[in-house]
Amino acid sequence: MHPRDLRVESFAKYPPQGRSLAIANLNVLKRMPLILLSLMLRQIIQYDWSFPAEREQLLLQFKFLNHLDAASFDGLMSSFSAIPLSNELIEIDWIDNPQRFSEQLTAYLWSQHQIDNYHKTAQEYQQRLQAAFNPMPPAVPRWTIVVVGQGSQQTERPLFRRLRPRGTLFTEIDPAGALDILLDAVSSRAQQHPLEYGHWYIDGGEPHPAAAGIPGLTIMSYNKLASVAKQEFALLNQFTNRASKNGAVGVEAVSSYIAGLSPEDLNLKGTPVDAPLRHFEVNILTQGAGCQIYSTTFVQWASRECLHRAQPLTLFARFATRQSNAPMEQLLARDPLTQPQDQAGSLIDADMGAYYTWINQSRLAGAEQSRFLVWFEDHRLACAIAPSLPPGKISTAPTTMRRVLDWMA
Amino acid sequence: MMNSNSGYTRTGYLHQIAQQRAMTRRSFLSSAAVAGAASRLFGFAPLKAATLPREQKTVVVTFGGGARDEETFAPEGQENIPRMMNELIPQATFCTQLVNRGILGHYVATASLATGVYERFDNFADVAPKNPTVFEYFRKELDRPANDTWVIAPSNGFNRIGQSDGTQFAPGLGAQVILPKHLLASALGKTSSSAGLDFLLQDNYEDPLYTPPAVQSNVQLSRLTEMLHLSVDDFTHHAKTLSSADELSVYVMRQLMRQFAPSLLWITLHDMDIAHSGAYSLYLEGIQRTDRLCAEIWQMIENDPEYKGRTTMLILPDFGRDSDFSASGNGFQHHRTGDPLSRTTWMMALGPHIRQNRTVDRPLDSLDLVPTLGAMMNFATPSAKGKPILEVL
Repeated sequence: MHPRDLRVESFAKYPPQGRSLAIANLNVLKRMPLILLSLMLRQIIQYDWSFPAEREQLLLQFKFLNHLDAASFDGLMSSFSAIPLSNELIEIDWIDNPQRFSEQLTAYLWSQHQIDNYHKTAQEYQQRLQAAFNPMPPAVPRWTIVVVGQGSQQTERPLFRRLRPRGTLFTEIDPAGALDILLDAVSSRAQQHPLEYGHWYIDGGEPHPAAAGIPGLTIMSYNKLASVAKQEFALLNQFTNRASKNGAVGVEAVSSYIAGLSPEDLNLKGTPVDAPLRHFEVNILTQGAGCQIYSTTFVQWASRECLHRAQPLTLFARFATRQSNAPMEQLLARDPLTQPQDQAGSLIDADMGAYYTWINQSRLAGAEQSRFLVWFEDHRLACAIAPSLPPGKISTAPTTMRRVLDWMA
Repeated sequence: MMNSNSGYTRTGYLHQIAQQRAMTRRSFLSSAAVAGAASRLFGFAPLKAATLPREQKTVVVTFGGGARDEETFAPEGQENIPRMMNELIPQATFCTQLVNRGILGHYVATASLATGVYERFDNFADVAPKNPTVFEYFRKELDRPANDTWVIAPSNGFNRIGQSDGTQFAPGLGAQVILPKHLLASALGKTSSSAGLDFLLQDNYEDPLYTPPAVQSNVQLSRLTEMLHLSVDDFTHHAKTLSSADELSVYVMRQLMRQFAPSLLWITLHDMDIAHSGAYSLYLEGIQRTDRLCAEIWQMIENDPEYKGRTTMLILPDFGRDSDFSASGNGFQHHRTGDPLSRTTWMMALGPHIRQNRTVDRPLDSLDLVPTLGAMMNFATPSAKGKPILEVL
């Protein structure tokens, strides 16, 4: 099927809001090259469970495209149109399975040595959108607080090496009550700047009890989702056992099956109001690598996706220890919450995870005004990045977490 | 994928950092090479080509797993590779830019290294390289027996890497391929004593939920143990003393060297590919182990009369991993973006006719490996697309 043949009926299987969005923008969709169209459809088919920030981005994109004259529109699409596609790709049901199309497309682009061309084209398109949108910074500066080392002891490996040049290192923070102070700060922000999915708490273990009582705070944790990951593996095993009776199961088939799992498949229950969170949690577990088995990977990946998709005003990410390494078969089968923990390794993982979280925050609008704090839990060491703090400095004077937050504000 | 970029604003600051990374790449790799030989008062060591023994041997060590500069030869990564820095670099010619322009999957990329042509097959498919391998060129042109070239491969998916699909060379002229994990699994099946050795059998880290194709190994267990004069019990007993799959591969390599002293020996290490799990500490452990094993392989060569003084060793990762600053990737975890850092890596050459403490800064191509091996060992590689690296000849 060719994009120009799209009709209202083509979206019959889409969730209601996504269907309406597609129909409202049918004329634009029909003029798009299949490569870009499939990416748009991936977002539209998920629209009903998207975060507000994602919805806004998509609507802005349609608004921009709808207002382009024909020549500008075709010019913008020309680089995508110039990438040749195989007949096999075109024949995939890209309307109802845009995810599967994308997976096949990726493999095809690599095999045809077109992947670099595709990335270049996609980046240029993205830059055009950014220039057109001129994204506004958030109403208040974004804050990200990362807590590492829960359950770990100091190691010889110096922490925050990558972040130190960007911020001020504090070496004598009083750890007593520091976690409560940080959660108080998160709570204050959630109450002063209420925003749907605007304030997040992500924990690699069990969430701190105080977090549960904070209104407007979206909470997710590895401990809660570990059982969901086990259900995912169980379903996957059933699938591969069934499918392998007809021959070897390919990577793409496995990926497509996982991508099609829903919250209901994974026994994630809730109300329609929190459907976006449940779908997000499923996406984390089905699209992320390693976050099912290692809590450190979970926090890093969930924080990345949270910043990327929800673009929160506040993110509080707390790393815990992860289970020790083991053969993959064991990792997939056993309960990660009852295994011996790799304390030293977890601290190294979390240190890198904090750095990646800073990078991902720095990609968002208003990055220059954003605040970032990483703290070694129950220890005296923290690194704070804020416009008000000099980068590359070390503060050895005794202080409190409250004062550090004040200096950052 | 572009979808991952939506909503991102790449700030000038972040972009600047990424630019600095790219621009300083050559200089910090060069400084690493020079620093490693800081105690030398004079520049290059004399070229020993005049005393080159007639029967050359070559050992190729590749890392299937991808290694980034940040964790290896960049200043902050050098702590992970002390053996390379202190023992190997001072003896080596170090090529700072080896660019892989092909598919960044481990089997297909390693196959491309072995053919000198960017192969295009599905990385997870059970297929042989389409183009002739270096092993076939070597054996046919120099009329070498089967036991003179071997491949020690890390996972079942590599079992067809020893020879091409037969389009240009008749079957049977390739290298014998050993899959140590497959052999160990077979051995454990015979001895019924698999307990505790599962950690040596992990097939791959990139898609652990994927079932690899059934292996039709060129060398079956009984034949191998017979050829290596190694009992199944000894093999499994020794495996119990090892801490990783790569150590098992090096152990098998040692047995091969003792028994056959092959002239062209290729080993692919894979432990560091655990980076796909997202655990940075485990990725670093893999690199540190690889560093140690590379030094041990060189020691094996230097301590073996069949190899000492006549062997060139080439060490190279198959490619890098994604940059921290590539918005569509997730840093070290994968190699999916095709960004410059994931495509650019390095190569080290050591041996009696290799200049010591030399750095080659010009961009080289991964495809240059096969023509270089051909030039080193005096056989033609007509289908290979690269060019011989003159600085190591």
